[in-house]
Amino acid sequence: MDKLPLASLQQKLINYLVDDDPTVTTDIMEQIKDHGSITRDVRLHIYKNAYQVRLKETIENDHEMLGFFLGDDLFDQMVLGYINAYPSDNTSLRYFADKLPLFLANTAPFKDHPIISELAHFERLLMVAFDAADATRFTRDLLANTPPEQWPDLVFRFHPSVQLAHFHYNSVETWQALKQEQSPEPAKEQHSDWLLWRNNDRLTQFRSLPEQEYNLITMILNGASFTALCDLLLEEVTEEQASQVALNYLLRWLDDGILIKQAFIQQ
Amino acid sequence: MVHNLITNQASAREYSLSSAVDGIAPPDDFLGFGLGLRTDHFQDVLSTKPDLDWFEVVSENFMVDGGKPKHYLHAIRELYPMVMHGVSLSIGSTDPLNMQYLRQLKVLVNELQPQWISDHLCWTGVNQTNSHDLLPLPYNEEALNHVCDRVDQVQNFLGRPILLENLSSYITYKESEMSEWDFFNKVARRSGCNILLDINNIYVSARNHEFDPQDYLEGIDKNKVKQFHLAGHTDYGNYVIDTHDHPVADPVWALYKQALKRFGWVSTMIERDDNIPPLVELLAEVETARNIAYDTLGQLERVKQREIVT
Repeated sequence: MDKLPLASLQQKLINYLVDDDPTVTTDIMEQIKDHGSITRDVRLHIYKNAYQVRLKETIENDHEMLGFFLGDDLFDQMVLGYINAYPSDNTSLRYFADKLPLFLANTAPFKDHPIISELAHFERLLMVAFDAADATRFTRDLLANTPPEQWPDLVFRFHPSVQLAHFHYNSVETWQALKQEQSPEPAKEQHSDWLLWRNNDRLTQFRSLPEQEYNLITMILNGASFTALCDLLLEEVTEEQASQVALNYLLRWLDDGILIKQAFIQQ
Repeated sequence: MVHNLITNQASAREYSLSSAVDGIAPPDDFLGFGLGLRTDHFQDVLSTKPDLDWFEVVSENFMVDGGKPKHYLHAIRELYPMVMHGVSLSIGSTDPLNMQYLRQLKVLVNELQPQWISDHLCWTGVNQTNSHDLLPLPYNEEALNHVCDRVDQVQNFLGRPILLENLSSYITYKESEMSEWDFFNKVARRSGCNILLDINNIYVSARNHEFDPQDYLEGIDKNKVKQFHLAGHTDYGNYVIDTHDHPVADPVWALYKQALKRFGWVSTMIERDDNIPPLVELLAEVETARNIAYDTLGQLERVKQREIVT
């Protein structure tokens, strides 16, 4: 037999791990020495089993509430489908299931129930908030030390863990019910915006955003100054109320820990 | 002593043989007896500050931007020496070296200033597919040249020698032309890397491939071994799987004693990856390792307590 290059041998073993086709199994089997008291088949299967179990455990750990929502059979079906559709191409398992929401949104039977994909999306956002970069927060003290004449031109910046999310179904409420070991209400269309972040105690936190606050945060993300926020509020409240409403939002954001120290001054 | 300007970090303890024992003193880079740091134990380690010489951390677990894991990691680094142990270098893969991974590794190295950095003598994937498993190489000249070339690139990039670890394996390729220990020795001698010898993996592979584990120990260069791993496995009768979810088994303790006789003082740690018990149980296993080493090689005294340098 001609010598098999290392690259070909490695490709054959990987093919065997990711593909159930019998010819793929035969291909690698031919490269394995038959020795000792266990068969080549048993030997190879140890690797195949480990591959599948490891990826399944990763999805189980990342998507605990989704698992409760689907139940064992559908969860296993999802895992098998996802592992086949998106073999891992990353060195870290942390990112293996990043495409799970996409998979669930486009694959039957899951795509027929969009709340399933939304649940997966929510759980992945929580993970992003959990291990996003650290940054020194903007605080009430720092704000108090900012010269009043600079306030109107301040442009706030968000902590790297901050995520905005829009859901079309009662997905977050469903997730919360499952987390509290309660039966969720039936899935229903319900548009809502959510803010997710890691708080001052390094705990992942989330809350729903009223439309007004969502609009303000979106404006900040687009580079708007504090004055511009007040101008937006003027469309909804009186001039006397506007600055107080804006200040209340700002204080809440500072207490939540979603703003960082490096606010900048609009030129 | 390392002088660290960035943050407080613990330096290694220094050991010497107590005067009553006529033995061989440990080498300068001997760290003592350590444990694999796991997230389950972060709080316990910080609140109880166990009497432990060092921790090993899995590099990939901390290749994230921030948050709780990194916060605890740095707090614990202030108290204990650390070594970094990776699972994704894929030194034997025929894919190009993953430079993004290596850059992340180097960032973590700069943050932690570990005593050393290790990974495995294996490959984990090819052609953009990662198995997240430690897959064996064929032990032949082609693989030897390939691995040595890549170890050289990695060591140049990191600016220091690395350690490679033997894995547990379940298959032997027809393309293999030499024993694993012969291959391992050649890699270490030619590339200049050092050896992390996993005593449990030797036992597991010996059972699965039906060789004498003593032959493995005898076949490894005495001067290349810088660290031992001790871990548990699952015995299925006909074969053994390296599950790291049990305490160290008796035959592995016995093999550890043999390894100490051959290699002398080698920094030793307990590696548990699954079914993680309370910290005290693992600390007791570390003490077992320490006692076996003292029984085999002589009693050690701590010359100096660990210091925190600023």
